[in-house]
Amino acid sequence: MRIDSYETKDHQEYVRTFLNGRFENSAFCLLDPNGQDWLTRAGRGPEMVLEHRSSVIQMKTIAAKYPDRKDGTHALVQDFHSVRQALNVASADQRVLVLVSGPQNQTDALRTSLQAVSNDKRIVGRFHFDFDEDGDWSKLIEGLKAEPGIIVIRPGEFGLDGTVMNQLPLHAANSEIIAALLAANAEFAKTTRKKIYSDHVSKGSRLGVYFESVVPYGEDRNGDGKIDHTGGPLRRRP
Amino acid sequence: MKHLSAICMLACLAITNGVACGQNGPRPTNLGASNLDLGESGIAWYTTWETAQTEARRSGRPIMFVAAATQCHGVSGVF
Repeated sequence: MRIDSYETKDHQEYVRTFLNGRFENSAFCLLDPNGQDWLTRAGRGPEMVLEHRSSVIQMKTIAAKYPDRKDGTHALVQDFHSVRQALNVASADQRVLVLVSGPQNQTDALRTSLQAVSNDKRIVGRFHFDFDEDGDWSKLIEGLKAEPGIIVIRPGEFGLDGTVMNQLPLHAANSEIIAALLAANAEFAKTTRKKIYSDHVSKGSRLGVYFESVVPYGEDRNGDGKIDHTGGPLRRRP
Repeated sequence: MKHLSAICMLACLAITNGVACGQNGPRPTNLGASNLDLGESGIAWYTTWETAQTEARRSGRPIMFVAAATQCHGVSGVF
């Protein structure tokens, strides 16, 4: 799993749990399937937890102790806490976002039926998936039809908005959905420039892009419960 | 093995980017682009604790827990 450290207060508390009460931008740990017991020590990143030269072997050794009990083709479909967050993450990963929007009694059924899509070898790891029943995000998405559907979205450069690449009805067949996603992924890859981190941050700073978070930006490195610095917008040199 | 290598590589990449704005991490000006080509398969992340834990319990597989920031100095759309 990968959570955003700044998305919610709960996420901030998770990070503190792994970093002895400190809050920093990132955290890493391997956990048992219940998410309760640590299988490694924790740190800011894998390079601080696993031995660099044998990190793959270490992960493989741990994984071997937990053989799959279930068929991977029925793995749960990913979800986000909000469409706003889904857009931002999809933009950051430079992946197409698949948003299932509609009444809960219909989207709940799709959480199961879409497993065959999201776990398809041609699809897995290439998209982000989100489910939403509210629709209060609709103004963020250009080209949206005002009806329930499976919406294939190209995330905006800074993850603040998106554009519809395709919109399928909720009752679309899985084969139809897969075909639409493969086409969208190919189009996205062909027409999108790969982000260069430094250029992206510089451009965003120049344009005044600022993504408001629930918890204040910055870190609490001494673990006193207070953020040490704001981590606010970059100041441009005169 | 190849799959695990990809997982580790991507995890390292995600974390490296995640600490970019930290005081001791690399500066944004020192970071480039992802090694993964657009449209290629990467890690199939779960992005909430609840879904990840549910799937881990269902499958019996361990969890690789990663927390990272989806912004740098408030500029979104980047890990």
